[in-house]
Amino acid sequence: MARMKFLCDADRCIECNACVTACKNEHDVPWGINRRRVVTINDGKPGERSVSMACMHCTDAPCAAVCPVNCFYTTADAVVLHSKDLCIGCGYCFYACPFGAPQYPRTSNFGSRGKMDKCTFCAGGPEADSTEVEYAKYGANRLAEGKLPLCAEMCSTKSLLAGDGEIIAAIYKERVTQRGYGSGAWGWQTAYRETITV
Amino acid sequence: MHDKQQTAINRRNFLRAAGGASTVAVATAAATLNPDEAQAYDPGEEEMGPRYQETDHVKAFYRVNGYETLEK
Repeated sequence: MARMKFLCDADRCIECNACVTACKNEHDVPWGINRRRVVTINDGKPGERSVSMACMHCTDAPCAAVCPVNCFYTTADAVVLHSKDLCIGCGYCFYACPFGAPQYPRTSNFGSRGKMDKCTFCAGGPEADSTEVEYAKYGANRLAEGKLPLCAEMCSTKSLLAGDGEIIAAIYKERVTQRGYGSGAWGWQTAYRETITV
Repeated sequence: MHDKQQTAINRRNFLRAAGGASTVAVATAAATLNPDEAQAYDPGEEEMGPRYQETDHVKAFYRVNGYETLEK
């Protein structure tokens, strides 16, 4: 059985944020929530790195381990989803997640949290596939339509890979074998005019 | 004055006794329950099932992303 995975090739990411925008638009994500974000370290300095981050759909998901109402479940595709009907918006999963994936809509001016929202790997939620109810709560179900997450499909530099873990790992492995990694990668000297250990 | 104090003590004793009885009742009720272990939400087989399909669309994604490395 194929296991769905994201893989961000940091040597290719140019921090264009197209993945973030595509995700928000595809799923009609509410104001104030980003299911995906681009994180940049050493911004503006030689050796700058950008990585597109969202829910990594962990095999042993810590969010599911701490959830007091057990609203998380893992599908046969190894996608971690949750039920917004059960979620109480306690925020435990946000503290447990090493990637900061869970997000909460602000429901009042006094800071109260709404139901948790996170990347679904474009696989919807527990409602029937591709229904209006599912779309309103979890966004589009592209996986059921025979497609992959839009963030990866939109990536102009082909940095963000998504799909069967074995296939995208093979693609990335071949890239590294051919071009090197970090300061050994092609284009590095052109961009930074020096060799930096990353 | 003495009678008043006696009444107050009796009332407190009554409450203490009632409190003790209710604690025992709650403990008995809890012991008779059969709590299951916490279990993850199960939306049903259909929703837990695989949705990923290796369609032409998906194959095109793999091909395009591995265009410079994978065998044509």
